[in-house]
Amino acid sequence: MIWLTWRQFRAQAITAAAALAAFAIVLAAAEPGLSGVYHSSGFASCHGAACTGLASTFINELASGAGIAGVPETPYMILYFLSVVVILIAPAIIGIFWGAPLIARELEAGTFRLTWNQSVTRTRWLAVKLALIGVAAMAVTEAFSLLQAWWAAPIGRAVGLGGSGSIFSETRFGVFVFPTHGITPIGYAAFGFALGVTAGLLVRRAIPAMAITLAIFAAAQFITPLIRPNLLPTSQTVATIAATGANISLTASPRLVLTATTVPGRPGAWIISSDGVNAAGQPVSSVPAACERLIPQGFVSHRGPATSAPGPHALSNCVAGHGIRVAESYQPASHYWPLQWSETGMFLALALALAGYCFWRLNRRRT
Amino acid sequence: MTAVIQTEELGKRYRTRWALAGCTLSIPAGHVVGLVGPNGAGKTTLINLATGMLAPSAGTIEVLGGRPAAGPAQLARVGYLAQDAPLYAGLPVADHLRLGAHLNPGWDAELARSRVERLGLDPGQKAGTLSGGQRAQLALTLAVAKRPELLILDEPVASLDPLARREFLQDLMESVAEQEVSVVLSSHLISDLERACDYVIVLADSRVRLAGPVDDLLATHHLLSGPRRDPASLPDTMQVISASHTDVQTTLLVRTSGPVLDPAWAVSEVGLEDLVLAYMKQAARPAPRKSHRRLEVQK
Repeated sequence: MIWLTWRQFRAQAITAAAALAAFAIVLAAAEPGLSGVYHSSGFASCHGAACTGLASTFINELASGAGIAGVPETPYMILYFLSVVVILIAPAIIGIFWGAPLIARELEAGTFRLTWNQSVTRTRWLAVKLALIGVAAMAVTEAFSLLQAWWAAPIGRAVGLGGSGSIFSETRFGVFVFPTHGITPIGYAAFGFALGVTAGLLVRRAIPAMAITLAIFAAAQFITPLIRPNLLPTSQTVATIAATGANISLTASPRLVLTATTVPGRPGAWIISSDGVNAAGQPVSSVPAACERLIPQGFVSHRGPATSAPGPHALSNCVAGHGIRVAESYQPASHYWPLQWSETGMFLALALALAGYCFWRLNRRRT
Repeated sequence: MTAVIQTEELGKRYRTRWALAGCTLSIPAGHVVGLVGPNGAGKTTLINLATGMLAPSAGTIEVLGGRPAAGPAQLARVGYLAQDAPLYAGLPVADHLRLGAHLNPGWDAELARSRVERLGLDPGQKAGTLSGGQRAQLALTLAVAKRPELLILDEPVASLDPLARREFLQDLMESVAEQEVSVVLSSHLISDLERACDYVIVLADSRVRLAGPVDDLLATHHLLSGPRRDPASLPDTMQVISASHTDVQTTLLVRTSGPVLDPAWAVSEVGLEDLVLAYMKQAARPAPRKSHRRLEVQK
């Protein structure tokens, strides 16, 4: 069975190995440049408090394309973006090209009648296929992730110390960074693969199964960030506007938005929400009347997305002076790995459930 | 001798339609069994039930005393050549043999190799580029080389031209003679089976119409012709399978265990093809009592 699995999987395995090699070569080729900026900015060898400023310097140099002469756009931004996208879509690609055809193509071509009538039960047939190709799927995706993490390590460090610019602004809890680093890629890969296999078994045709796999996987990727903050209980705190580094902004509704940037005493925490509250702890959604005259010209009428206000310290001070503080809901930095395990475990459990269903259906429904 | 296939009131339903119903059979070992019937009669359904590709909706089926496809040991005892001889189009001939060797503990590599050599198949050629006859031969090689006790072939020659058809059946018979293996093969053409089979099962309209060794069936069926008369006047020991009348003459196909003694009849032997066709026709004809009942309801 192992031989047959390998024989049928050979072409896909070679394709994946080639893609992984190309990814590694591109990142390795760009590594000396990135490393050069890392060192020349002084960020690589910084100590203590000096690092915060140097982190920003480093990120700004990267975002402005320093280090590579004659290239106007910054290749690091493009590469960083593409490498994250590759890890994001790798499980979907695996589900589509490895998972969906696994059973569907046998059913389409009628070859299941050949294979399931050798001296191997279909349970064992599926078990070997799922185990070998599933492990390959997880390994390849995690390899992409580790390569990217190695290459982007200086960027991750700088963002973690408050450096921020252009697309280099996501911390490790970011919507795109969290599911592409750590161990989550393993969970996504297992889920994508099992999803494809199940879709193929149910639809019995490879092409529609591929489309369904893509649709469901994309939906799962979209929904997960919405439930991620609640995988573990969040912590709450209330602090002054100054202590939370909150940016003040005004939108049509509510009229007052306070976006916290830090949790006092909790460096690296993941802020899930921040709202203005009065001294009694009740939510405040409008600027106190006494402070309205301090609203800068053109700042009020802004609708839609929040207008962040770098300038209006006076407004900020006035609001704070009226006793308005910031209530934050957050996950502490120490929850990074528990959250990683929760999300990975969730997708691994889904993958196992799908695989279990495949075994059950394959034996119950016969053809 | 134990039965190779034993069924009891076996049935398979697809939604509301019964593809096979009330099938009770006991096929003894050591035969080449022809499963005949028109398209849609339930032949493939019966074969799929016997190979475990389908689970029955009613009744029971045992193959070589075990539940079909119950485990690796049971799978190893049954060789199966599916309709249209499915093969992996992208894999070469040699890899198909390797597949057989890896997946079957009882694989006879020497047999497989010599067969492929004798058939003139290029081991490096991809299965997708083989001719219909070569595909069927390669698929048969896979089924035979696992050394099964029972070989089940579903319409193995349906897609072959007459020459390839003859070659395939000849080759099959040689393989059967060399190995002690029971064979069940289906076809909607009786002429295919006449040469090869010594046991026949007629399926029509989802039901078994006739089953037995060819010699016995031929010995107990007679074609009677004589002056026109009502078939109902025949003795009870004779069962009329088909009757045709002209103005002056009556021709009957009857089943009887005893000899035909009435001198009014000219008795002649019946060929397998005519016999099978008579049973298929009988199935197609609505039973008289049934139609009578229907008339009453309509009133």
